[in-house]
This record gives sequence, structure tokens and C-alpha cells, in this order.
Amino acid sequence: MQPDKQNASLRITALVSVGKHPGSGRARRAEQDARAVEMAMTLAPEGLEVLHAGDPQADSLRAYAGMGLKRLRVLQQGTNADAVPALSQYLKQQKPDIILTGVRAESGESSGMTPYLLGEALGLPVVTRIAEIVSIDHGEANLLQALPRGQRRALRVPLPFVASVDMAAAAPRQSAFGPASRADLESQDIGMAVMDEVKAAWSEAPARKRPKRLKVVKAKTAADRFKAATAKSSGDGGKVLRDKPASEMAQAVFDLLLEEGVLR
Amino acid sequence: MILDWLLPILISAALLLAVAGMLKRISLWRAGQPEKVNFFSGLMAMPRRYLVDLHHVVERDKYMSKTHVATAGGFVLSMVLILAVHLFGIENRWLSYALLGALVLMFVGSFFVWKRRRNPPSRLSKGPWMRLPKSLLMFAVSFFIATLPAAGILPEAFGGWVLAVLLAAGIVWGLGELVFGMAWGGPMKHAFAGALHLAFHRRPERFGGGRSTGLKPVDLNAAKLGVEKPTDFKWNQLLGFDACVQCGKCEAMCPAFAAGQPLNPKKLIQDMVVGLAGGSDAKFAGSPYPGRDVGFAVGGPNKSITEGLVSPDTLWSCTTCRACVEECPMMIEHVDAIVDMRRFLTLEKGNTPNKGAEVLENLIATDNPSGFNPGSRMNWAADQNLRVMKDVKEVDVLFWVSDGAFDMRSQRILRAFVKVLKAAKVDFAVLGDEERDSGDVARRLGDDATFQSLAKRNIAALSQYKFNRIVTTDPHAFHCLKNEYPDLYPAGQKPAYEVLHHTTFINELVKAELLNLSEFKGGTVTYHDPCYLGRYNGEYDSPRELLKELGIELAEMERSGFRSRCCGGGGGAPITDIPGERRIADMRMEEVRAVGAELVAVGCQQCTAMLEGVVEPRAEVKDIAELVAEALVEEVSPAPAKSREQSKVAKKPLAEEVS
Amino acid sequence: MSEDIIRRDPRAEWIARNRLHPLHQTMQASPAETRGPSGLIRRNPHAVGFIGPNGIKRIDRMNASGPATVGGRRAAGAAKEVELPLHRVENPDYYIAVVPDMVGGRLNGHDKDVIGQAHKLIGEIGGNGAVLTIVFGEHREEAFDKAGVDRLLHLQGDEYEGYSPELRVAALAQVEKEYAPRYWLLPDSVAAGFELGCRLAARIGERPATQAWQVGAEQTICRGAGGTSDITRQTPRLLLLAEECADQIDETRHEVLPVELVGTVAGHASIRDCGQVAVDPNAIPLAEAEFILSAGNGVSDWAQFHQAAEALGATEGASRVAVDDGNMPRFRQVGATGTWVTARVYVAVGISGAIQHMQGIGQCDKVIAINTDVGCDMVKRAALSVIGDSSEVLAELIRLAKAHRQEVVENAA
Ligand SMILES: Cc1cc2nc3c(=O)[nH]c(=O)nc-3n(C[C@H](O)[C@H](O)[C@H](O)COP(=O)(O)OP(=O)(O)OC[C@H]3O[C@@H](n4cnc5c(N)ncnc54)[C@H](O)[C@@H]3O)c2cc1C
Ligand code: SF4
Ligand code: SF4
Repeated sequence: MQPDKQNASLRITALVSVGKHPGSGRARRAEQDARAVEMAMTLAPEGLEVLHAGDPQADSLRAYAGMGLKRLRVLQQGTNADAVPALSQYLKQQKPDIILTGVRAESGESSGMTPYLLGEALGLPVVTRIAEIVSIDHGEANLLQALPRGQRRALRVPLPFVASVDMAAAAPRQSAFGPASRADLESQDIGMAVMDEVKAAWSEAPARKRPKRLKVVKAKTAADRFKAATAKSSGDGGKVLRDKPASEMAQAVFDLLLEEGVLR
Repeated sequence: MILDWLLPILISAALLLAVAGMLKRISLWRAGQPEKVNFFSGLMAMPRRYLVDLHHVVERDKYMSKTHVATAGGFVLSMVLILAVHLFGIENRWLSYALLGALVLMFVGSFFVWKRRRNPPSRLSKGPWMRLPKSLLMFAVSFFIATLPAAGILPEAFGGWVLAVLLAAGIVWGLGELVFGMAWGGPMKHAFAGALHLAFHRRPERFGGGRSTGLKPVDLNAAKLGVEKPTDFKWNQLLGFDACVQCGKCEAMCPAFAAGQPLNPKKLIQDMVVGLAGGSDAKFAGSPYPGRDVGFAVGGPNKSITEGLVSPDTLWSCTTCRACVEECPMMIEHVDAIVDMRRFLTLEKGNTPNKGAEVLENLIATDNPSGFNPGSRMNWAADQNLRVMKDVKEVDVLFWVSDGAFDMRSQRILRAFVKVLKAAKVDFAVLGDEERDSGDVARRLGDDATFQSLAKRNIAALSQYKFNRIVTTDPHAFHCLKNEYPDLYPAGQKPAYEVLHHTTFINELVKAELLNLSEFKGGTVTYHDPCYLGRYNGEYDSPRELLKELGIELAEMERSGFRSRCCGGGGGAPITDIPGERRIADMRMEEVRAVGAELVAVGCQQCTAMLEGVVEPRAEVKDIAELVAEALVEEVSPAPAKSREQSKVAKKPLAEEVS
Repeated sequence: MSEDIIRRDPRAEWIARNRLHPLHQTMQASPAETRGPSGLIRRNPHAVGFIGPNGIKRIDRMNASGPATVGGRRAAGAAKEVELPLHRVENPDYYIAVVPDMVGGRLNGHDKDVIGQAHKLIGEIGGNGAVLTIVFGEHREEAFDKAGVDRLLHLQGDEYEGYSPELRVAALAQVEKEYAPRYWLLPDSVAAGFELGCRLAARIGERPATQAWQVGAEQTICRGAGGTSDITRQTPRLLLLAEECADQIDETRHEVLPVELVGTVAGHASIRDCGQVAVDPNAIPLAEAEFILSAGNGVSDWAQFHQAAEALGATEGASRVAVDDGNMPRFRQVGATGTWVTARVYVAVGISGAIQHMQGIGQCDKVIAINTDVGCDMVKRAALSVIGDSSEVLAELIRLAKAHRQEVVENAA
């Protein structure tokens, strides 16, 4: 680990939510939030606070604590309350150097607005989808932002700031049962609960399967129509080339690679 | 005569020092955690445990058992008589003759020990252990000569002072090794610790032909979960480590060792000894952990084991196959120790290697190791018209499907078994979505919290219904249900059913002539005993009988029955996947090849997966259920009309897929 | 070829003759009459008539020339690129603002879906609505018209180049001030739309619907809980749309009239873009790689394999056997006990397709198998299989890749 990776005086708050397993729908630690905690733990094990606004009894919060946290702060709220006002009020007082969140929550609205609303409320810059905080110097952080397909963009942003952590960030350490069951969940009644009234009017149901849009070829010519009708649908079995010269077969592979646009 | 006064002094000095050493040793053990044992009955049972149970294991090696009887018997007898003759000076010619006889016996035994040690196999430790036969011989010879005058065979002053000095030196050597060394950590320690270990064994059920293989539950409210330091072991586990004779039988059996993974059960036990007594492994004179040098491990009673003494990789290499435990003449429990240490790594450190963390997370979130939607557990049986307990409530046989439900290869085994059940018109049903992973993998990976949670929920599901027996195709689930769940039943409750492996059950069906089987046609077949069926549950016969019923003449592998070699699939080893030089499954397949088998019959989906993971060309792998299903002769009678109830169950909509 | 066959299109001919047909105008070579901003009919004297064969301008008051342009020989050539009817919006009553991602400087499918959604909303609301598309920085798109862009606000300038979300949002806030769009639509995409949409929502105080996939003027269904639930809600003003939320525009052309911002954009950028980091394909985490060349027991020439991966710009993967045999490092292993990959294209060289390996490539889009055994499971899974010796095929692939690179370089020069 580089020496500048750990920063004694750095104060980081990682915001965590109650996740939801996509298969079972069961509550768990959210994957991105856990990565935020991991990032904070490697960067500033001393100046780390893990914060949740919601129900302090939620068992899945302990899964974060199991990563080795001594305590976890919970701003006590009902399930229908809006988390942002509570969080921003608390963070305004605390003024951490870095606020880390996930990109999108796994349960509830999962709109991904939290970091932006916090940034707006606190007047802080927001960096999206970071994969790594490379270093911090002169009051500025050098970050790597995750772009699709393993690409990265280097950014530099002054402290303090809000950042959402991408799945490309280092995987979170395992949550261990012992520390999880022993950590302090410091519940704090902040005396404010802004009811989320807009949400109350919504209805939520299990996701319906969306049919994939059929590739309707609006044939402009009879030839197009013919082509569309006879084209092999991509679903059934693959094409097999055999007993041909290697050069010819390699060409077929190469053409497919070109068509898929993976060659640069 | 010098010896007349010197001998009693030497003997009493050796005895005194030995007593002091023993007290010291006992205090080392007592640093371990308390564990209730029945002292009195344990001590009373000890001779029998030694003479019958331990001897039963040693007896597998006739040469060794005979030499040991001669040496140990001769020594114990001579020691008693030496006390009488030389310490208390009882002057009885017959007593002296008896002593001479005992010493001769001991001499003969030691001679054969020495002979065997001239060219020792690699599993044996060298170092002090090479000295031991010489010390034994020296003891026997010295005392023999020293006793001759007392027996009146030689004159009192025979040999003069030269001989006396020589004899005194020999006696010092002999007593030093055998009496002093016994208490102060020499090779003879095994006699002292071993005897007490037998008396205070943590699994007394193992004696008298019993079996005790289930892991002990962790108290999840304890301040520390699992074993971090030697003193976190139970005191009688520490005692057990000290009983090791470094015979290396465990090493010779260990699949991980053979595969070149960094595990050697013998070294592990010796490292535990280093840990409990403090120091380094520099004096260890046996085979190292493959790929690791000896001499760098240091430990102490209150030092963390995995920081300096034993590498976590060593612990994670174990497949929990129990081959070592089965083979150990001292009845040491390696697997308990390994899992105890894994528990600390998983439950306290969160350091389960490789895919371990992911699998545990999946088990917590979805009750299956691969993270599938728990609502899709019955998808495999969409076309099977299985009855579900929720609907039938009461049934003769509950078919425990296991996580094979999610794996395409295992599903073939499940379907085959269903076919057999139906052919025999067994009244059976499944738990369906109420079934969860048995917790086997979680427990072996050290996550007893998840195991207990799964087990308790499974028990709650089971408790809702009435059935006589559970039958499963998965030996791991079989073991958990049969041997480990009873510990987790709510206080005062006990499982009211029998648990059977499908090979046992099918064998019963065949014996009851409920199945109509045709002869197996095919090449040479061998049978691979799954560890969790064989060594864990003692079921070696049913699969063999069943294969015989099919007309199969087995070509048995060299390692079969209780000496079967693991496929490499147990204990979460495929998940933690510690690199070695070879794959355990490849070695096993090599053994299959060695007997010329074209087909290897197994009784476990995990073995199937592991053995089929060996690259082709190789023998075909089939579960016994598949072989039986293939051999079924369909009766011509029309299929019984399905009740409406049944088909409704099958058509029950499965959870909607989410895009 | 069939494109050369002259076909008459009776419907088009009829539209061209029928001056009352709503599409009539678009069938004309160029409109001779337009309604001006004041509502008066304006004639374009230059657009009336055509140049006859002798070079003299002729005015055809019978409109007989129409069908000729539609069904004549000239049209046959143009059939490849049918001139779509132009959709006009004059003096829009309201705007629907769309901010496309413009990945690579062009509209992508998702962008077009969003524009399609905008038109769908206009259709539902009625009235004279225009789709205002806001594009930042240089672009290379030539077909805004066919995608459905009525108005184009092209914000150029160095400040919008690269990663500049803060200034872009400031500009969008200015758009909000000046145009007060009825709706804001953005693609809910990793590329840019999600981020920009959230920023804008936070800035202008709207609560967006995200991953919206069924949007009407009244009601919107969007995915919640990480895609596992559907939230039905009143349609908000700002929407982040899922892919394929609506059909793309494909039957009309649009004006793409440029518009501008009157006021100045007040914004401050505190995030500094230090540029994209050059990532070696082999340094990309296997799980994130887009294109993987994976080696198994059927690979014998390892130097050649590495060379092929480099030439193709692919990330290397391996089967467990290749790893066990020490030919590949452990972190390259794909499968149950290795990495679960998400590559779009996965080329399996000499890999038989054991179930444990297949588990790792479950999410791959296109699998290509290079194998000597036509019966192996990998061939069954693959979209394209090449039955042959791995080293021969790899050698050819290296050759092709090098030739291709050469070509690209020459073209660029
Ligand atoms: C618990 C467990 C976990 C496992 N996890 C994984 C895992 O994560 N990942 C994994 O990959 N495997 C895993 N395996 C191993 C797996 O079962 C297979 O053994 C392995 O994937 C086979 O690798 P392979 O396809 O490279 O080799 P093979 O099965 O030997 O296949 C080689 C292929 O190459 C072809 N071939 C041979 N010569 C040539 C040539 N000259 N040109 C072209 N083709 C040729 C052959 O036709 C064949 O299809 C696991 C196994 C177990 C039991
Ligand atoms: S249980 Fe099996 S793998 Fe583990 S140490 Fe014993 S013999 Fe080796
Ligand atoms: S643990 Fe048992 S089998 Fe292994 S060396 Fe010691 S005594 Fe022998």
C-alpha cells in the first residue's frame, strides 16, 4: 500500500443503505455501499464513519459492521421518511472531507439521486462512479472514474466532495459474523423526519418482464422484406465452419469481431 | 557395588523429574478451554480403550501392532518390576526372573522397531524418533544386565566398576528417554499423553465400535468464535495433540498432502504441539507442508496460530475427508482442530479465501451456495409431478433433494432417483421451496452461524410434517441431517425420523424385491466411496451390495472402503481452491484408471462433479441411482392415474422471472 | 440486383397528385409554397417548376411532374435513401427537451429511443410541441433530422469538451430558464445520461423517474429496487428513460432548426478531467473486459496465443486446466472457481466447455469457439465455431489483425 493511501487526518463518511438480493429479494448489505465502506476503510481507517438513515434494527446493517467496524451511526427514521434531509442536516454539522455513497440503492426508489441531492444541499461537488481514490494532495483528490468495460478516467477534485462508488471499485472485504454481532449501532434520533409524501402516492409491484423490442425491419423494398423474412434469427444454434482452409475460417471469426465492434 | 545405591537414586530422580515434567505438561493442557469430561469413568475405561479400540487401529499394520505390544507391554511390565526390584529392593528371585523376561520381551520388540527404522518410509518422523529404538534397546539391555545379579545368575560384583559405569550410563540413557523424556516432550510423551488422551477423549462415543463424526456447534454468543490461539482449544484437544506418535499414517492418507497442497496433518498436529508448548518447529523431523520449509514456524500458547505458526492456506487445503482421523492410531481429531481454526478465520476475521466469501454470502441471502432464486428450487422437477410436503403433510419417505436441484448434472441423478422411487411405488414427497441448503459447506468453511441458521430453519420446516424417514442422494446433507442436526433441535426435542442415503434405501428396495432390475452390461466398473458416506457414516456395504445386484463385479481400487481417497470435493475445498501441484480428482481418476475401469460408480453429486472435472479421456462417472434407473425393467402395467391434486402441484407457477 | 428494378409506387404517385394529402408537400422536390411565420402563404418562385430537357424552366401546373420524381428512373436510384416526409413545427407551443448521450459524437439507439419517447409524449399531449435536443461539444451526427430532432441547441466551446458535467448542468439549467421545457428526457445510461439527469434534477428540484420504461403523459412505470420492482407513478417532469422505452422515429424527417441560448451560462467546474487513462486490455479486470480471448487445454503454442491476444486487443482468459498446467496465471481463470465474465465477445480457444467453465461465461453475448472437436459443449454454446487446429487459426487471426491495423493506419494517413 502506498503511504499516501492512508491519510491520518482524513475524515470520510460512507453512507450505507439496506440492500436487496436480486434473486431472493432478501435484505443484505448493498454491493456498492459495501464498496464505499471498503474504499473508506482502506483510505482512512481512523477517520471513517459509516452512516445510515433509517431503521436501526435492520439486521442487514450488521453486515457492514462485520467488515470490521466498531460502530455504525444510524439516524433513526421511519421507513417512509426521506433520508436526504436527515443526512444533509447531519453532514452539515459533521463536515467530513469525503462523503461516499453507492451509485444506486438496491431497494426502494433506487433512483440514484442521493449523492446529487446531498451535493446540492451541502454545496459540494459530486463525482459519479468512482473506482478508486488514488491519492490526496494539496487538498485535492486524484480519482479514477469507472467507464464502461474496464476503462478509467482520471479526475481531480478539491475536498470536500461527494462521490458515488462504482461496482468497479475494489470488492468489499468479507463480513464476519463475530464483529457484526458485536458492533455498536449508535442510533440517534435527530428529531426530524420529512415524510416522503410524493412516494406515498406510488404503487410498487414486482418487476414485469419487458419484452425485447422485435427488430421490425420496416422494409422499404421488396428485397429488404425478403431479406428480413429469410434472415436467420440469432437465437438458434451457432454457425459451424469445418473442413475449410484455416485462413477462410479465421476470416469468418475476424469478420464477426469486426461486426461486433470489439476490434480497435 | 556402585549400582546398588546408584540405581535407586537414578530411578527415583528420573521419577521425580518425570512427575515434575508431567505436572508442567498438565498445566500446559489446562491452559486450554474448559470442557466437561467424566474423569473417573474415562480413567476406568482407559485400559479398554487402549487395548481394544486403539489396538484395533494399530492392528491394521500387523507388524507394527506386534512390535508395539512387545515393546510397550515389555516396558510397562519391566518398569513396574524395576520399581519393585531396584527401587524398593524387594529381593525375590522370581520377581527378578519376571523382570528379565519382561526386558527380553521389550528387547525383542525394540529390536523389530529398530529393524523397521533402518529404512523408514517417508511418513515417519526422523530425529529423536530414530533414537527411540536405540534408547529402548539400551534400557532393556542395561537393566537386563543390572538385574542378572539380583536374579542370582551372575555374582554380585561381576564386571567391576567398569561395567558398573557402563551400565549406569546405559541406565541413565534409558531412563532419560523413557521416563524423563516421557514427561518432558521426548518421543515417549505419547505414552503419557496418549493414555490420558484416551481417557479424556472429546468423543468418547468413538470407543467401543461407535462413531462420532458430527462437528460440535459453536456457542455464537461467546466473546471469541473459533480458535485463534492454542489456548482457545479445549484442554482435552491440546492433550490430544500431545498424544501424536508422528507415525505419519495421517500424512500417507491425506489427499491434500498427496496433491502437493500445503497441508500435512501430521505436521499440523506437531505445530499445534509447538503452539501449546511454545517455540519453533525447527526440531520437526518429518515431511514438511508441501512447498513450505520447516524451521520458520514459531508459536506460543497465546500467540495467534495463523500469524507465524500455521499458514491459513494449510487450514483451507483440507477436504475434511477424515482419512487422517480414521487412520490415526492415537485417535486424534484433526478435522475438529482444522475447522475450529477456520471458524476463527471466517467468523472473526472474515478471511475465507477465494470464492468462500461469495458462497457464504449467497447462502445467507438465498439459502443456496450459488445465489439462485430460492423460489426456483423446484424448477428441475417441473416435469416430475412430485408431491410437496406442504400439500401432503404426511408421507412415508421425505426425499431431501439438496442443492443438486440447481445443478444440471446433479439433476440427472435426482431424476434417476425419482424414477427409482416411482418404480418401487414409494410413498414419498419433497419439501420443495421450504428446503434449504443443509449448511454443510457453511459449516466446513467455518461459518457456524450460517450453518446453525440454515439448520434451524430446516428443522422448523421438517417439524411441520410427519414422515418416517428422510432419504437423500447427497452424502453431505445426509451427514448433516443425521449427525449434526440433532444438536440443534430445540431443547427437549429430538428428530423422530431415520435418515438414509439413497444407496442404503435403494438396497432395501431391491432386497424387498420392489424393483425389477436387468443385468448391467458394460465394461469394468469400480466404486468410489464418498467420504461423507463411508468414513463419516460407515456405509460401505449397501452401495456394493446394490452394484452386485446389478450384476457388477467391482474392480476395487487400492484405496477403497474406509481407506477410500477423497475426490477433493469436501470441506469447501473446491471453493477455497488452494493451489497444489496436482488435482486431487486427477489422482483419484488415476487410481480408477489403474484398475482398468471404464466406469466409476459413485454415490454423491459432488464426487460426480469432481471426477467429471478431470479432462478426458477418462472413465465415465455415474451415480448409483443412475445405474439403477438405467437397469429398471419397466413394468407393462399402465401408469397409475395421477390424482388431480398431484398435477396441480406440478403446475404451480414458479416465481416470475425478472428481466 | 433488385435495387435497380424500377417499381412504381402508386400510393406515392397518388399523394404527389393529391394536393390535399397531408404528405403531399414532402413529395415535392422542394416546397414551392410555405406558410410564413406570420401565417401568410409565401411562394418560393425559385422552387416552382423544373428545368426542362432543353434547359428552359417550365412550370407544371398540372402537378404531373410529381409522379415522375416519385416513380421515375431517378427515383429508382434514390430508393436506397427514401426521402421521408418532413415534420414541421412552427412556433412551438412547448418544448420537450432531450439530452442525448452522443457516445462517439453520434446518436445511439438509446438516444433515438428517448427522442422517440419525446414525440410520443407530444402526440399524447397534442398541440404544437417541438423536440428540443441539446448537444454538447463537437459531434459527428448527420442524421438528426431522421432521428426526430425539431430544434437543436448545439452548445459548443472548449468548456463542454471531455467530462464536464458541472458546466453542462449549468447550461441545462439555463435552458430550463429560457425554454421551460414541458418535459426533460434523458437516457438512463452509464454513458452520461444518468449522471446528467440526476444532476439536473437536483439542480432544478425535480424528482426524476429513473429507468422509466413505460411513459405516458399521465402515468409512468419505472423500475425500482435495482430493477426488481416496477413503480407506477404520476409522470414527473424529468425522466431518465430505459432503453427501448419507445419506438424510434423512422417515418418522418424533422427540421433540426438551430436555436440558441440568450443568456450566459453561469457555472463553475470544480472537477477537473485529467483525461482517460490508457488501459492495457490485459490490465482490465477480467470481469469487466468486453472482449476476451480465452485459452484452454487445446492451446499448445503459448507465445502465439499471447501474440494473438495482443494483436486483436483482447483481454486474456483461461480454463482451469491452462492455469493448473502453469501456462496462465490464476487470476486469468474463467469459470465457477475463477472469474465470472461479462464480455460481449468471448473467444474460446481449445476449451471443451465443462460446466464449471460455462458457468463463468453465462453472461457473454457472443461466444466464438475454436476447437478440433465439433461435438464439444463449447461448440454447442458458440454463435460461431471454427473446427480446426488452434495454432493454425490463431496464426491466421494474427495475420488478419495485423493487416487490419495496417489498413486503419493507412486510412488515417
Ligand atoms: C469444482 C470444480 C471447479 C472447476 N472450476 C473451473 C473453472 O472455474 N474454470 C474452468 O475453466 N474449469 C473449471 N473446472 C474444470 C473443468 O471441469 C474442466 O476440467 C476444464 O474446464 C477443462 O478445461 P479445458 O476445456 O481447457 O480442457 P479440456 O477439457 O481438455 O478441453 C480441451 C479442448 O481443446 C480441444 N483441442 C485439443 N487440441 C486442440 C487443438 N490443437 N486446437 C484446437 N482445439 C483443440 C479439445 O477438443 C477440447 O475440446 C472445475 C472443475 C471442478 C471439479
Ligand atoms: S481430513 Fe483429509 S484432507 Fe483434511 S487433513 Fe485429514 S486427510 Fe488431509
Ligand atoms: S496425528 Fe495420528 S496418524 Fe498422524 S502422525 Fe500423529 S499419531 Fe500418527
